[in-house]
Amino acid sequence: MSLLLFDTALCLLLLALALASMLSRQLVNAVMLYIAFGLMMALAWARLAAPDLALAEAAIGAGLTGALCFSALARQQLDITAAALSWPQRLWPATFVVLMLGGILAALLQLPSVASPLVAVAQAELINSGVSHPVTAVLLNFRSWDTLLELVVLLLALLGALPVAPAEKSATSWSLGLSWSRLLAPMVILLAGYLLWAGASQPGGAFQAGVLLAAGAVVLRLNQQLNWLSWCNFWVRLLVVAGIAVFVLVALLALWLTPANVDAVWLSWPPLLAGGIILLIEVFATLAIASTLTLLVVGEPAPQHNRTESV
Amino acid sequence: MMVLLLVLPLLGALLMLLWPKVAPLLTLLTAAVCSLVALQLVSRVSEQGSLQILLAGWPSGLAISLEANSLSSLLILLTTVLQLLVALYAVATYRRDKLGAGFWPLSSLLQLGLTALWLSRDLFNLYVCLELLGIAAVALVSLSGDKAIKPALNYLLLSLFGSLCYLLGVAMLYGAYGVLDISALALQWQANLLSSAALVLMTLGLMLKAALWPLHAWLPAAHAAAPAPVSALLSALVVKGPLFILCLLWLQLAATTQAQAMAPLFSFCGLAALLLGGIAALRTPLAKNMVAYSTVAQLGYATLALGLLLQFNQPLFAAALWLFVLAHALAKAACFLAIGEMTATLGGKRLNTLKGASQTMPLAMFAFAVAGGSLIGLPPSGGFLAKWALLQGLWLQGDQLLYLLAIVVVTLLSAAYVFRVVALAFDRAKPVKPDFAPHIVPQWLALLPALAVWAMTLYSEPLLRLLKQEGL
Repeated sequence: MSLLLFDTALCLLLLALALASMLSRQLVNAVMLYIAFGLMMALAWARLAAPDLALAEAAIGAGLTGALCFSALARQQLDITAAALSWPQRLWPATFVVLMLGGILAALLQLPSVASPLVAVAQAELINSGVSHPVTAVLLNFRSWDTLLELVVLLLALLGALPVAPAEKSATSWSLGLSWSRLLAPMVILLAGYLLWAGASQPGGAFQAGVLLAAGAVVLRLNQQLNWLSWCNFWVRLLVVAGIAVFVLVALLALWLTPANVDAVWLSWPPLLAGGIILLIEVFATLAIASTLTLLVVGEPAPQHNRTESV
Repeated sequence: MMVLLLVLPLLGALLMLLWPKVAPLLTLLTAAVCSLVALQLVSRVSEQGSLQILLAGWPSGLAISLEANSLSSLLILLTTVLQLLVALYAVATYRRDKLGAGFWPLSSLLQLGLTALWLSRDLFNLYVCLELLGIAAVALVSLSGDKAIKPALNYLLLSLFGSLCYLLGVAMLYGAYGVLDISALALQWQANLLSSAALVLMTLGLMLKAALWPLHAWLPAAHAAAPAPVSALLSALVVKGPLFILCLLWLQLAATTQAQAMAPLFSFCGLAALLLGGIAALRTPLAKNMVAYSTVAQLGYATLALGLLLQFNQPLFAAALWLFVLAHALAKAACFLAIGEMTATLGGKRLNTLKGASQTMPLAMFAFAVAGGSLIGLPPSGGFLAKWALLQGLWLQGDQLLYLLAIVVVTLLSAAYVFRVVALAFDRAKPVKPDFAPHIVPQWLALLPALAVWAMTLYSEPLLRLLKQEGL
């Protein structure tokens, strides 16, 4: 009974936060409400027994997206308010959304309540995957091609954002923030390392660890600490591409080392080495995700001299 | 072989990011090697039938399946060859046009996304490929600098909305059937409310991403704002990716009743795109917008062919559909490169700047006219081949006079917008002076795909046979 009450309150809160965030006149308020929405969403995932998603949502939806939105707001000329829309302008999208939602909900009510036949197959193959946590096995073994392409998508997002980033405003760091960030940094690294290591057997993994690391790096960077962290630095670029590069190189190595009597299959890990390979890929993916996200939030403009000399 | 086609552009792009100085060279190298490998793949597939891999060696269903059939391998060949050509054009002009250093890795990643998309037969993997394609395309559009940011942002938001619609549809199907592999899904498919809703949702998203009428409004601004080599890639290849998935969904998954219900809608959208896109191309004062609107119109042919294929289940329409895609890709690459070259040399964005271009830049104008011939469907070009297959299919069905009449009208319309440019170019009384001596190499590069689209007729027999039996 009490859980039902909790769930109802959570759902209502989610709807209210989403509406409030969309209808808010001040963009700053909208972003804050959105962050709150992300936190509640993480709770909702936890209630739905999806701790991996809850971790990711808390780190990305509530943490990093908020930081991204604020850093975008900080680069605006003035504190702009969203232009007031007339009622017909609001009505059309609203009707569209309501109609679509109605149709989707009507269709979703017909969903059968049987579990996917793939779940049994995945559970049966789990022992050969090298890890004991099914989510990690799906991400880095069963469907590793998707994960590799997703890493490329993240890289593309950075490449797309770099050239359009406006000039950074000079900001002075706040001494309290500085000491606080220094205190926070080792704990963030420790926690990220734990998340990464735990990913093999329980919720956690490269993405959550990477986002956490990125959050720590962003805090440090905003306090003028990690000044070497910029796209012009060759080693930073190497770090950013390392996740994908190690993934591909390990896969090529595995392809090359396949015994002659077995069919060589792209991205297939030998069962004995699978655990080690997955951990290796995850370590570099964590570093790459962390550096990519940090660069995205810090968002320095592409230096002009670099562009002209490199063309 | 498939793995090589996927890994080469990816590793190439990573190296380009590390050492930007060698990026043009690396792009050319990877595109050239990939073209050769793709050619080998086409010949191997046509000899031995389609190749399939279950990635990572897991049983079917758990693993992502890739398949290279003759259509996929042809599309891969088209992608790599156009990539090579556009890279050559970019190398020939980058000093003049100040193309950002970002172009090289982004175009390689675009090639990766397209190749992965043509090969994939897994609904979720297709979503990842779509996302890859969309973000790469937006990043490429934003290379033109400040003036392109607004169209690029519009493109990004609409593209994300389209992806989310598609993803929601995939989630619904996964909830209902518990599999993502298309062939496994097709076996269990039932025509009910849930699957129809999922199909409609995915179609909405894909039509938005493929800029099919009436969801095309973002395309002219985005394609016109991009640098010339980028617009060539976007118009020739990127909009075909979602179209490919749309065909996979409706031809392999949808039940006959669902397909029959949707067919008239596709045919109507196709005809409307042809008509309204053609009129818009005829009216716009800007040169690149004209070519972009022509893309909207020409995609109408593919939509029409898809609608007719679903309605009549006649293999000739499948051939027509993919011939349109191939011919349009080559012709549109030539058009965008030629128009980009002319507007850069003559210094102006309006169509009026092309006045007297047949005298000042005969080669580029020739390239445009030759490619335009295929867009109109003049024999013996690739466009003609496609249109002939369409007309033949309609003729065999009998009693389709309305469609035949509509096709005649839209053909005249496309002739009108091509000849509008050609007539202007032959107005030699006071030609617009070029800002600098026209460069020869880029003009030849624009001419190459235009010639290739006419050379398609030389291979019309095997092409028709392949595409008719494949048809997805």
